[in-house]
Amino acid sequence: MNVWPGSNQLRSFAAITAGGLLIAGLAACGSSPSGSSAGSQVAASAKQTIVFATQGLGTEGTATANAVKAFEKIHPNIKVTILSLSPTSDVAEQQLEHYFIAGSSTPDVVTTDVTWPSTFARSGWIANLTSFHPATSSFFAGQMATGSYNGGTYAMPWFINAEGLYYNTSMIKTAPTSIAQLVSEANAAVAAHKSLKEGLAFEGDEYEGSVTAWQSFGAQIGLKDLGNIDTPANVAALTFMYDAIHTYKIAPSAVTGWQESNVQAAWLSGQTPFALNWPYIYQLSESTTNGKPTYPAVYGKTAWIPFPSATPQSSLGGDDLAINAKSTHKAAAYELIQYLTSVSAQDTRAIFAGDPPSVTAAYNSTLYKAAPYYENEKGVYAVVTPRPVTPVYPTISSQFQTMISSVLSGQSTASAALGSTAPTVKQLYQTGS
Amino acid sequence: MTASQQSVSPSGTSERSQTGTGHSQSLLARDRRFGYLLIAPLLIVLLVITAYPLFYNIWNSFHNVNYLLPPLGGFAGFANYSKLFTDNEFVPALLHTLGFTVVSVAIETVIGLSLAVALNKKFRGRGIVRAAIFIPWAVPTVVSAELWRTMFDPQQGFVNFLLTKLHLPLATTTWLDSTWTAWAAILIADAWRNTPFMAIVLLAGLQVIPSDIYEAAKIDGANAWQQFTRLTLPLLKPALMVALIFRTLQSFFIFDVVYIMTGGGPGTSTNVLAYLNYKAFFALFDYGYGGAVSVSLVIVALIIASVYVRVFRTEEATA
Repeated sequence: MNVWPGSNQLRSFAAITAGGLLIAGLAACGSSPSGSSAGSQVAASAKQTIVFATQGLGTEGTATANAVKAFEKIHPNIKVTILSLSPTSDVAEQQLEHYFIAGSSTPDVVTTDVTWPSTFARSGWIANLTSFHPATSSFFAGQMATGSYNGGTYAMPWFINAEGLYYNTSMIKTAPTSIAQLVSEANAAVAAHKSLKEGLAFEGDEYEGSVTAWQSFGAQIGLKDLGNIDTPANVAALTFMYDAIHTYKIAPSAVTGWQESNVQAAWLSGQTPFALNWPYIYQLSESTTNGKPTYPAVYGKTAWIPFPSATPQSSLGGDDLAINAKSTHKAAAYELIQYLTSVSAQDTRAIFAGDPPSVTAAYNSTLYKAAPYYENEKGVYAVVTPRPVTPVYPTISSQFQTMISSVLSGQSTASAALGSTAPTVKQLYQTGS
Repeated sequence: MTASQQSVSPSGTSERSQTGTGHSQSLLARDRRFGYLLIAPLLIVLLVITAYPLFYNIWNSFHNVNYLLPPLGGFAGFANYSKLFTDNEFVPALLHTLGFTVVSVAIETVIGLSLAVALNKKFRGRGIVRAAIFIPWAVPTVVSAELWRTMFDPQQGFVNFLLTKLHLPLATTTWLDSTWTAWAAILIADAWRNTPFMAIVLLAGLQVIPSDIYEAAKIDGANAWQQFTRLTLPLLKPALMVALIFRTLQSFFIFDVVYIMTGGGPGTSTNVLAYLNYKAFFALFDYGYGGAVSVSLVIVALIIASVYVRVFRTEEATA
């Protein structure tokens, strides 16, 4: 039997195929976002369920779950479902962006890193909160700025973070005030203590952490600096990262694959006298289990200072809270944000999970009594410096990450790498502004 | 005579009158229509999941679709394609990918063939050895890549531990921190995972070769090497071609091992096309540029496939 269709059949077959392709083509063209209306809004007093997308494992995750329970007690009509995002910040950002691009009305409330709100706001993904009249003056000004875009407030600070240098006071007697002093103290400590595997631990893997490390080591990469990043301060900071591994040999070459968790493990086990990391490490270092120190190698021996570069600064991190522009529960969503940024909720989280409050009034006697180390953290917060607040930050950061990686692996010198990256960054910055 | 030939009237009357008068024709036509009806759901599903993304992607590649830089959808002409050749990322990634494909397929073919020949011989415990060799293939690539990344860790990894214990060189290497050692690590991880596939397919090919031709060859005085090159290899060719096509295309699309082990680094020295494509879509949200990378990826893959098919055909014709 001949299986090839006759002319009639061929025609109908072609019609089906063409019809299908047409539908596919039309759907393809039609699926570009057209800014459809967000739908009718549900009042805050109505019975409803909102979705809260957030990162956080371990104590941070528990702290969030507890805060949500407390919120539901005060607002019995609002149920909050937690949507867990990846603990890796780059992946969490991608997850959120997929919800936004798909035009989903959930999650209603999203946790964003301080570098994301301007990107999200420019794309119209998060709601302008100005109409809720947020109390912007009660937050640290530097972090509050990360949530504003084109004069509007799009995100509220949840907790502040800063990257500083930890040192183990049992081996390092005086805080270093210069890079030279840091190097000599690290070398002396490694020579004196058999338990030490390295002199300095930092994140050198090809990811966002390497950019914050570079900034904490002294790189000037604020918005105004992006026109030309090929500056002596930036070369010095990048050269230090290379030298720490290859010239001074205080950091192992393994740091080129290290992320925060690897630095954390090195610090808590006591194998390094110096480590660059975020404040949650302070809480872990001082934590106890059944009345005994959880990490005896660092318990009671932890100090934290800004990295001693020529003009010390610490990279600003932390999380903000924002509302999905397509959410139909904006009023209830804002209630949740207000609760999470209240002084009592911030103190509870700070004591339980080590996340430093974003609200200045939360640094009170309650907090210092329960967790005295927060008083010692002030020095690092005093010099926080944000990464550039621009919608094209993801692309610029990707350039930085590749540049740092090629320098740390010795494929390029710091000045050559900065020289070739500077024009690209300048161009990106101009397209994004 | 075929059914359709039967239905054609010798006088060549029009089809309309044919359907009216020819009983067998109308039955056949109804049969066919029913046939199309039956495959229609499948066709629609295929259009939705294959044709739609493909055409959407091609459409994107000619437009400005950067979700981080709205407005979206302006016509871009060939801008996204010309960017491929000016951005210093695509061309190196293409060369890395082609180089990796050639080397990894060569390694896997040689080892896979040796394994298949060995496993085709009768020996005690062959069943257990066969099963053991196929285990890596049953491990998801993400898991095996994560495993190898840990093995290559300079401080806690097994590789450097073993090299130290055996007093071998390279015991202090930071494997993933320089171009060539990073590639070596990727190749090892990829070969560990995929050589068993090569071995399975080749072993199946070996098992259908009748043993009496080897006995005849032995009587004619052929040694083991002659038997391998003159009998085994030619008879194994069909299986070998199938395995090569599969592995070449899979290698060309390599993503997970690079994503897990190096993230394209150090710098961009292990960047491959699929990873560049992923970054364009998922890190930079530039669907226009990402679309152009995807389309190029498909075109190169089609070229590879067509070369194989042609070689395969001529082999068959001469066989």
